[in-house]
Amino acid sequence: MYKAEVRGPLILGDKNYRQISSDIIAPIDQPTPNWWKAVFGLSLLMAGFGVFAMYKTVAEGIGTWGVNNSVAWGWEIINFVWWIGIGHAGTAFSIFLLILRQKWRTSINRAAEAMTVFAVAAAAIFPALHMGRVWLAFYIFPYPNTRGPLWVNFNSPLFWDFIAISAYLLISASFWYFGMVPDFATIRDKAKSKVKKAVYGFFAFGWTGSSREWLRYEALSYVLGGIAAVLVVSVHSIVSTDFAVSVIPGWHTTVFPPYFVVGAIFSGFAMVMTLMIVIRKMYKFQDYVTDSHLNAIAKILIFISLIMGTAYATEIFIAWYSGSQYEMFTFFKNRITGDYTFQFWAMVVCNAFIPQLFWFKKVRQNLTFAFIISLFINLGMWYERFNIIVTSLSKDYLPSSWVTYHPTWVEVGTYIGTMGIFLIGVLLFFRFIPMIAISEVKGVLKPTSLNKNVQKPVSHE
Amino acid sequence: MNNNHIIGVFDDEDALMEAVHEVKQKGFVIGEIYTPYPIHEVIEAMGKKTRFTFAAFLYGLFGALGILAFMYYTAVIDWPVNYGGKPTNAFPSFIVVAVVITILTVTILSLFTFSARAKIYPGKAYILPDARSTDDKFVMIFDKSLSVNNSGDLEGVLKGKGAVEVYEKELKPQK
Repeated sequence: MYKAEVRGPLILGDKNYRQISSDIIAPIDQPTPNWWKAVFGLSLLMAGFGVFAMYKTVAEGIGTWGVNNSVAWGWEIINFVWWIGIGHAGTAFSIFLLILRQKWRTSINRAAEAMTVFAVAAAAIFPALHMGRVWLAFYIFPYPNTRGPLWVNFNSPLFWDFIAISAYLLISASFWYFGMVPDFATIRDKAKSKVKKAVYGFFAFGWTGSSREWLRYEALSYVLGGIAAVLVVSVHSIVSTDFAVSVIPGWHTTVFPPYFVVGAIFSGFAMVMTLMIVIRKMYKFQDYVTDSHLNAIAKILIFISLIMGTAYATEIFIAWYSGSQYEMFTFFKNRITGDYTFQFWAMVVCNAFIPQLFWFKKVRQNLTFAFIISLFINLGMWYERFNIIVTSLSKDYLPSSWVTYHPTWVEVGTYIGTMGIFLIGVLLFFRFIPMIAISEVKGVLKPTSLNKNVQKPVSHE
Repeated sequence: MNNNHIIGVFDDEDALMEAVHEVKQKGFVIGEIYTPYPIHEVIEAMGKKTRFTFAAFLYGLFGALGILAFMYYTAVIDWPVNYGGKPTNAFPSFIVVAVVITILTVTILSLFTFSARAKIYPGKAYILPDARSTDDKFVMIFDKSLSVNNSGDLEGVLKGKGAVEVYEKELKPQK
């Protein structure tokens, strides 16, 4: 039960339903702001550079990367896991908080889901490129072929990963889209220009908001919410098995699935915070994304940060407790000390220590600090993946194969390119799609309002 | 056929709900109710139920059995490959793919079911009595031919319960 007297109203400014629609649609109706054009131009440049790097990879081969026989996985897998992690926010927000009936999700879930779709799409580029011959990527589909038919290996975590990522992308995109259908209808019915009415009308699929439609809509959202909740846990667990089923020191541990899932939600929530602060600032959505929303995200981040710290400590403890000299070497000589000391401590400081600043109310309420901390978390999560992948591979059982790894400009370029693609997606979302779920916010307006003039609300749960 | 409807427009969900109970008590047949957001009381009052969850369960069952059968066929019957002496029917490692494909099957078939049952699809010609109902109004419609004898009474009831507007309109599908 949400008690506005205890937690404060969710939507500020004594809005009525009409104001909610107009406020949220306003960015779509207004002319494109200049900052948007500037950032969009920059994103296009970044994406262009990325496409050039990808062209280089495909035309000349993986030899253009810095990977070698020992460190066969480099920036591509680091960035893949990093993007997938960020892509966990959408489902974690919409679906976990939907099931837990957290009404404050309504102002944030649309943006979190959008981010998920673009992040997962950006992530999917890396494994495809890493196959080397990207034009043969369809070999990974289990289809009847002329090679036997030789089927895929269902025992391989790499195949599980492919299934998990494609299913995740499809499911989060459809969940996102169907959430938008009623809002597209709102835009259609408020639109003044014929073109806009036709375009949004097409995407609204003839939605009218009749009881017949809402009944099925609600049923669909609970079915999808219930079943897709498994994905929040399963996708990154499967990504972690890519590592955990191998016998490489530092990878071969049972803590990996929960450790990856929590890390993914951590980076996802941090990215949501980054994005919500931007949306709130640039589009003046302070009444919808209130201080208390950001406060709630900050508190979740403290909690997850503590879990991350515990996971790091557990890994180190188990490396010692296992008595395996290879595990000992990896953790104590190649992470805590050694060639990759900086990356290890950057991970620990960014993920386990810096977010602890959110214990202070002053830090939680200062948006500049919150913004910077959220960026530090995503930096820390990148270093975490660097640590896992590069330190373990660079120095394994055979000292004659030890190498250090440095990315080439092609790898850096691909990464910058995916950032550009992600930003293009997010900017188009800002411009053409209602950033806050209009119908959901209207549904929670009354039950979470402090306004005593409003009659006792009927329930919505 | 005459497709004239009486349309009652409300500002507020509480007023709407009171009117719904009143007109039902007086024996009027509500054609449909359009709201800007889902209201469970409205759905209940319209006496609508859905077997969506049951259908989703069947989809899940179909997905799970289908993918397990497929993996068994490919890995055991059609082209068994010896991976380090492991059994070809490696059931535990089939579980991961089975779970994910089950979820995917439920999602995709549920979306199609939703599209078919709620009649929501691209290019649909829809009937929207009052365009404000996707913004801030709660709209209740009545088929005039069913309530023709006492339509004056109906208007009175709706107005009495706080309808801001009551009017008559011929409903046509629009694109």
